[in-house]
Amino acid sequence: MTSPAQAGGAATPGTPGAAASSTPPTTPGPAVAPAKDSAGVRGLIFLRDRGIFVLWVLLIAVFAVWANPYFATLNNAILIANAAAISAIFAAGVAVGIICGALDLSIPGVAALSSCVAGWMITNGLPVWLALVVGIVLGALVGLVNGLISLRGFNPIIVTIAMLSITSAAAAIVAGGYTFPGLTQLDFMGTQRYLGIPAPVWITAGVFLVGTVFLTKTRDGIRLMAVGGSAEAVRRSGIHSDRYKVFAFVISSTCAGLGGLVTTATVTEANPSASPGLIFTALTAVALAGVSLVGGRGSLPRVLVGALVLATISNGLTIVGVQPYWATGVTGALLIGSLTLERWVTTSVSRRLMATAQASVHTGTR
Amino acid sequence: MNATTTTTTPALELTGIDMHYGYVRALDSIDFHVGQGEVVGLLGDNGAGKSTLLKIMSGAHRPSAGTVRVHGDEVELHSPSAATHAGIQMVYQDLALVDALDIATNLNIGREILRPGIFGLLGFVDHKAQRKRSEAELDKLGVRTAAMTRPVEMLSGGQRQVVALARSATRVSGEQNGILLLDEPTAALGYEQTQVVQALVRRMADQGIAIVLVTHNLALANAVCDRMVVLNRGRKVADVVTAETDNDHLVGWITGARASMFE
Repeated sequence: MTSPAQAGGAATPGTPGAAASSTPPTTPGPAVAPAKDSAGVRGLIFLRDRGIFVLWVLLIAVFAVWANPYFATLNNAILIANAAAISAIFAAGVAVGIICGALDLSIPGVAALSSCVAGWMITNGLPVWLALVVGIVLGALVGLVNGLISLRGFNPIIVTIAMLSITSAAAAIVAGGYTFPGLTQLDFMGTQRYLGIPAPVWITAGVFLVGTVFLTKTRDGIRLMAVGGSAEAVRRSGIHSDRYKVFAFVISSTCAGLGGLVTTATVTEANPSASPGLIFTALTAVALAGVSLVGGRGSLPRVLVGALVLATISNGLTIVGVQPYWATGVTGALLIGSLTLERWVTTSVSRRLMATAQASVHTGTR
Repeated sequence: MNATTTTTTPALELTGIDMHYGYVRALDSIDFHVGQGEVVGLLGDNGAGKSTLLKIMSGAHRPSAGTVRVHGDEVELHSPSAATHAGIQMVYQDLALVDALDIATNLNIGREILRPGIFGLLGFVDHKAQRKRSEAELDKLGVRTAAMTRPVEMLSGGQRQVVALARSATRVSGEQNGILLLDEPTAALGYEQTQVVQALVRRMADQGIAIVLVTHNLALANAVCDRMVVLNRGRKVADVVTAETDNDHLVGWITGARASMFE
């Protein structure tokens, strides 16, 4: 694949077969040298960008054999999706934040606050829709505050840790130290199934659909990603990059609020205790999905698969009767593995690109 | 001045620019101008004041004294965005491209084309139209770097430089031809890539953009500049048409071995 010499590329001017194997040829220009640098590089990039999908398919295949016949059933698939749903919503929030360079650690607190305020409202006979709206708006507001404080030059990690304490305290105050049990009014977004699929799965699907379209197709989404990649580049283009950073905090926190509400609906109880484990599960899914913690890079569908991988591992290992703490260990190992892969791919790609850079400039294409 | 090739109003004109940092006089009554379609090289040793002068032009610094005129109108460049507004674009050495995004997105950020109809109102970007526009713009500049969908991180150094230059060029060549400030555009490039960038700078000038080029590289300056201005210890010591000078004179002025042509 990678062998043909780059200098000899001119011998096959515009080979149609070579061009067809790469991306759709957008430019009708002379497709001379490129085909071979791409084969290797493209393979590596594919591994980096789609590796998580491959990993998931492998996991499913392994468990389908190992945990036969209980794993590969429709019911189990729904079980896995449902188990992944809530952590995926939180992961979406974390991912959007990280992509824009705004890591939000207050997510568990915001989730607890939203769910307790909504629980209080429902318990006190206020309409369910209002409780949900207030819960989500509250999340957005906390994000706004996070963003505005961070803009003043404070370290966002510390700011959001402080906000984690504040929001979980507020949740406990609202709940008066207890929980709000028996919130069966929320069943429609908790345990209810539509077309055989549980409500949280639908909600998660909606969140990721909207999020993906937003990040890849709309002006604000693209700018948000660009701010994460290089705030300076965006600023020099005459855009207020700060606004987008605040916006990322708002999205992050709104997802946290929504996640809190869905959790409440699933367990029919609003609990004021913020579980920090939540943020780590979300971060694991995000990191598995190859979202660079530096920002500017990442895709939501991969994050979704990241959450699904975690759910698949714990589900599969449970079925085969392995102790659940093994699942945690395996997840950790996977995480380090994925980082290693990412590093390796990045260095090999840059090495290959360096090797072909001269040729590329010379031909003026690619 | 001694060597103006155009008789029209200069695109950018600085008169009597002084710059003090405390007791240090970084610039001493500098007069400088660049016409439309002209490439002016700004040469000098380290600490001669090139960067300071460039920062004044780009709005990053305010001069202690002196006036700046853009197309004949006096302007206050109190911030980089004011300079941008006046039609002055600076290309920094660190390029500032968004690595993970593709070429077309990088070229279009800040001036996106939205899709027509309801999708446009929702803020949906017309990627296809953007790619087309960027292709046309790059063709006009005579550079076809790579497929528009290629992420910037997969480009070579020369290609990145070309993208960064093109981004600035497309931003100043709107209704009125603007001014491009280049800071060592080939410092990080190899021979081959330097040739590409040189050709690009010339073509941008041919399209009427006024270009100020700060460089240490005499070969580059000789190849692309119409005129050269040499600074030495904060003073302008030479302002010559490229064709009427040679390296020995330039080196003399840069090092201070040769007397200023204004004294």
